Amino acid sequence: MTHKDRWLLWLFLAPTLLLIAVFLYYPMIGTVFESFRDTSFINPTPRFVGFEIYEKILASRDFHEILRNSIIWTLGVVILQNLLGFAAAVLLNQGLPMQGVLRAVVLMPFILPGVVTAILWRFMYDPQLGLINSLMMRFGFFEDGAAWLASSSTAMAAVIFVAIWKGFPFSMLIYLAALQNVDQSQVEAATLDGAGPVRRLFDVTIPAIKDVILVNIVLTLILTFNYFDIVWVLTRGGPQNATHIFPTKIFETGFGQFRFGEAATYGVFSIIVLAIFVALYVIVQKSASNRRPVA
Amino acid sequence: MKFFKHTAIAAGLLLSTSMAYAQDVTLQFWDNQQTESGLSGFQKAAVDRFMAENPSIKIEVTTVPYPEYQQRLLTAVQGGNPPDIATLDQIWVGAFAQAGAVEDLTEEAKAAGLTRDQFFGGAWDSAVFNGGLYGIPFNVDVWQFSFYNKALLDAAGVDPESLKTFDGLKQAAEKMTGDGKFGVGLFGHKGEDTVVVVNSFIFSNGGKVLAEDGSCALDEAPAVEALSYLQDLSKFAPEGILNASSGDMRELFLNGSLAIEFWPALEQPTLQKSNIDWGFVNGTAPEGKTAIGTYGGWNLAVFQSSKNKEAAWKFVEFLVREDVNGDVVDLLPANKAAAGPFLAKNRDGADRIMSHLDNAAPRPLSARYLEIADLQMRLYQDVFSGKDVASSAAEACKAIDALN
Repeated sequence: MTHKDRWLLWLFLAPTLLLIAVFLYYPMIGTVFESFRDTSFINPTPRFVGFEIYEKILASRDFHEILRNSIIWTLGVVILQNLLGFAAAVLLNQGLPMQGVLRAVVLMPFILPGVVTAILWRFMYDPQLGLINSLMMRFGFFEDGAAWLASSSTAMAAVIFVAIWKGFPFSMLIYLAALQNVDQSQVEAATLDGAGPVRRLFDVTIPAIKDVILVNIVLTLILTFNYFDIVWVLTRGGPQNATHIFPTKIFETGFGQFRFGEAATYGVFSIIVLAIFVALYVIVQKSASNRRPVA
Repeated sequence: MKFFKHTAIAAGLLLSTSMAYAQDVTLQFWDNQQTESGLSGFQKAAVDRFMAENPSIKIEVTTVPYPEYQQRLLTAVQGGNPPDIATLDQIWVGAFAQAGAVEDLTEEAKAAGLTRDQFFGGAWDSAVFNGGLYGIPFNVDVWQFSFYNKALLDAAGVDPESLKTFDGLKQAAEKMTGDGKFGVGLFGHKGEDTVVVVNSFIFSNGGKVLAEDGSCALDEAPAVEALSYLQDLSKFAPEGILNASSGDMRELFLNGSLAIEFWPALEQPTLQKSNIDWGFVNGTAPEGKTAIGTYGGWNLAVFQSSKNKEAAWKFVEFLVREDVNGDVVDLLPANKAAAGPFLAKNRDGADRIMSHLDNAAPRPLSARYLEIADLQMRLYQDVFSGKDVASSAAEACKAIDALN
């Protein structure tokens, strides 16, 4: 590459780099900077406090509840969404009749906006008027309606269920694309060797799409950890903090209570977790490309 | 001659410039809409009237849906681009004043002859912070009125007047609960409607949220008694109290399965359009005491950054005028002289509403109100979930006092 080419390269890259710097890294660095300052709406003159806010948050009951909730929420959604998405993909890869229609139907929840999904499920979960309780009572599971979103023992499970309902078509879509690329000659060879459907799945199909599974899991980890709308509309993080996760806490602290320094500190904790997930993603991607045969 | 010609041209230019400037005063006014009352249309008519009276001032109205309003306003202030005038929830005034975002209007109000006795006292007080007046009351309402379903009360043999007392309400709620029906629409989700309703029971029992010295008073006997009463009363509320809002209770009230719902007078237009045969009483208090409600409502504030404060004040003065205030609000006019005719025209039981408004108390006037309210919500959820009231209140007070 000549000197001129290098200049041209940077010239063409400059607008993109500038946009990334302004809209991505500036706010991120600003958040880290803000977390070291005691800033709120009522105290607009910032005061540098070092790690004081970090110490306060780490010692608070809220932080431990939110961390625990975020772990349960993220793992619950990621594991179940991927299992269900994979199962749906395997099913829809069997050449069933009306496969196109079935795929469209399964994709419906994914197309709905998060807020619409949450409002829909708020109605479904309604203790008095909701469809869930109505069905449960009709089939004799309960005598009285259960308050799914109003009990700290069931609220998280109820919210996770909604996220899975909305998210599994995304996983399914990726798995379906991967399944359609599995080398059919290997599957046929395994069949000729006497392998049944379960053996073929675990010994041929899953190893063939292992990289896609890993990438999908890491991607859903990132997306799920950042979820906001469904949780906020369904429960606002309640009852009694039972469904408060990092994004809802950040929103509530920043925009609900005008405490920007504290919201930024929660944001930094979020960034740290997300940075780990992104690093995982990069490692998985890199190892996947290293294994990919050269064409 | 030449001198006169030049002077005349200069004077003409100056005059045209000043006229052009006068024509160019454009004010941004932000408000929020809480109901489907057609308020925007009425406000537009009033704004047109103002512009006809003041041709040199142009008003641009931005109406934001209530759930987004706080965030939009806050972002605008933080971004250094707030409107000239906006309605501020009573509970935000302290924070906006402390932040230096809004003007102290004490002198302007004095010069215009606007005084506390022309408005509902609690509404006026909600705009006072550290001795300054940071807003002019625009609209008000009071939480709560107990709206009841006459058919359900009749069927259970309950006298509506009995709902005015703690004991009467509890006995009535117990009688009317069962067979898919619920006695009382208590709700406890994380929201201000939860806070104001619970506060009104505390106020009516002689309690306070903050004492005179600013310390937490929720762990004092009157507040703890009121909270214990509500914990007991919640047995007769629909399942799911911790995620239920006033809106959820309205749905049950309108489908005839809830006997009593707690709402401000704002609920009346909805009930007037429904098939429910309804009535209301002014809140609930212990025997022999008068119920004290919690004020809700909005104040008009002029922002510090406005380049046209004089024109902005003119518009504020116009909006709270007796002949205008009733046309531009969807709650109740904060101007008492405008409230009378408004109530007579739009609400049932105007006199009772007026007396409940006169008795009402504002929420704590603190720059950190939103943090206090968050801790209150947590306490009220603990109470409704059955936790020990006294220890929960003590824990909440410890956290509230730590804010200072």
